[in-house]
Amino acid sequence: MTYPRLILRNLWRHPLRTVLTTLSIALSIFLVCAVLTLPGALEAVFAHWSSDVRITVHHKAGLTYWLPYAFLAKMRNLPHVAAVNHYSWFGGVYDEPKNMFPNFAVDPETVAQMWPDYGIDPAALERFRKIRNAALVGEQTMAKFGWRIGQEITLKGTVFPVDLTLRIVGVIPAASGNPVVLWFNYRYLSEAMEPRFGTALAGPTGVVGMIWLRADSPAHVGEIMRTVDALFRNSEAEVAAETEKSFIQSFTSTFEGLIRVVLAVGFLVVLAVVLIAANTSAMGVRERLPEIAVLKSLGFRRRPILAVLLAESTLQGLVGGVLGSAAAWVILGALNRAGRTAGGAFLGPLGSFHMSAGVAAEGVAVALVVGVVAGAVPAWNGARLNVVDALRRLF
Amino acid sequence: MIDVRDVSRVYRRGVDQVHALEHVTLHIPAGRFVALMGPSGSGKSTLLNLLAGLDRPDTGEVVVAGQALAGLDEDGLAAWRARHVGLVFQFYNLLPVLTAVENVELPLLLTGLGRSERRRRAEIALAAVGLAERADHRPQQLSGGEQQRVAIARAIVTDPDLLVADEPTGDLDARSAVEILTLLRELNRAFEKTVVMVTHDPRAERFVDQVMRLDKGVLVDGGSA
Repeated sequence: MTYPRLILRNLWRHPLRTVLTTLSIALSIFLVCAVLTLPGALEAVFAHWSSDVRITVHHKAGLTYWLPYAFLAKMRNLPHVAAVNHYSWFGGVYDEPKNMFPNFAVDPETVAQMWPDYGIDPAALERFRKIRNAALVGEQTMAKFGWRIGQEITLKGTVFPVDLTLRIVGVIPAASGNPVVLWFNYRYLSEAMEPRFGTALAGPTGVVGMIWLRADSPAHVGEIMRTVDALFRNSEAEVAAETEKSFIQSFTSTFEGLIRVVLAVGFLVVLAVVLIAANTSAMGVRERLPEIAVLKSLGFRRRPILAVLLAESTLQGLVGGVLGSAAAWVILGALNRAGRTAGGAFLGPLGSFHMSAGVAAEGVAVALVVGVVAGAVPAWNGARLNVVDALRRLF
Repeated sequence: MIDVRDVSRVYRRGVDQVHALEHVTLHIPAGRFVALMGPSGSGKSTLLNLLAGLDRPDTGEVVVAGQALAGLDEDGLAAWRARHVGLVFQFYNLLPVLTAVENVELPLLLTGLGRSERRRRAEIALAAVGLAERADHRPQQLSGGEQQRVAIARAIVTDPDLLVADEPTGDLDARSAVEILTLLRELNRAFEKTVVMVTHDPRAERFVDQVMRLDKGVLVDGGSA
């Protein structure tokens, strides 16, 4: 007989109760790990999706304002600008209005230079350059609509009053971090709109939604942004230049409040589990008051009794924490791997979770605290039991 | 061995005061087997608790094996009990999650003995009460008499000077009760243990050296053994 054996035997006194309590702790730690992973996941998404040399330039008044097409030429000539491209939101829907997804008219000539990190097949890029109505489509969108390369699709314009028939010539891999977008040739849009506007969009009087710049080095990004801002200050369209990461974050800043709510809910879950575990622990100690009285009568002092009772709840917390963290590690890891595949689109942001070892350790630490806190009061009450009162009352 | 000098104990039950013991004085030499008898509420268990160091008198002094118990704090009393006193209860009070031999081994956790030595001594104690073959049985797999034997083995495993038993036959059938009384007598004689037993069982008188009788908290017979 040893103290650890005594602790284990006591824990296994009511197997079902122990298993259920441990699982409730494990489940809460799983949720805690998922919640703690959320901010890191978003940060990782930003880091993954964004390049440290890409710069976005948009109208200072907002993204819904257009920029003059002529700005492109001016920006191409700026020092340290390696490539220039542009985005124009077409707002096309496929078949029916619910099938809205991001589709942009871009310049096919510099896609390879602007987004070399996307891993697009060079042959597809070449077709994209040569075929007038070519389109590159994100892997998840391809999977969502069941499209295949070579297929022709028609997008109904919502921003521009024109329907465009596009031929899919390649895929933008999911690993690019931009797996739902569709790109097509801006000149194709320009030609389609010219009869209505009486002028080409891709011309001296044309417009684009926003402009992409690629710096020749991360060290020159700041300088380029300052130059761009200064160049168009007091012009017909003042611009705001920012890094790609900052640009993406501006879209997701509204999630920060949600993240805080999710974090708060996560910690409330932990608190609820502490109360449940404390109640279970208190119940266990109450049931064992006769045994504790006997132990004290045999000569066990407060400290070993306190240690044994506290160790039981702490061990339960530890096991629950390890189970919860391990489950989170496995499940979030599997979701993350699934999210990187074409079929993982349905996972949404869940597929972006990447749980670090630090979060797993935090989960175990939280579970340990749960165990200690839940067991502290019942253990203390048990340890300071008056043996004569207890013996008289109980026997 | 045991000197109780002018001991009184009063319990408060709500606004009432219960005089459990009043000016009790007694002496029990080492190696005696003494029965404390008397009607319910006479103060037998209170006196036993004082002798075992589980409780403290309001007035008077209790000295056991040369140790004045008043001079020990709670932890000191616990340590003293672990070394010098073996306790047997009416309802055995074995830990249901432990086997018989593990229950017997339990008090040895408070000693500095190694794991194998603890197990060896527990097996010897269990053999001494005739339950060597039942060592790996849980309490619920044992009869009442067997459980009480295990409790006695647990009480003697630390080789205490004093064995105190509170109604050890109170929950047993007649045959088992006689077996337990016989066992206590044998332990008293073979190992010269001082045994003090609270009992209502009239059969006990045949097994003990002396009967001390209490009534309404007063020692009415046998203050000196």
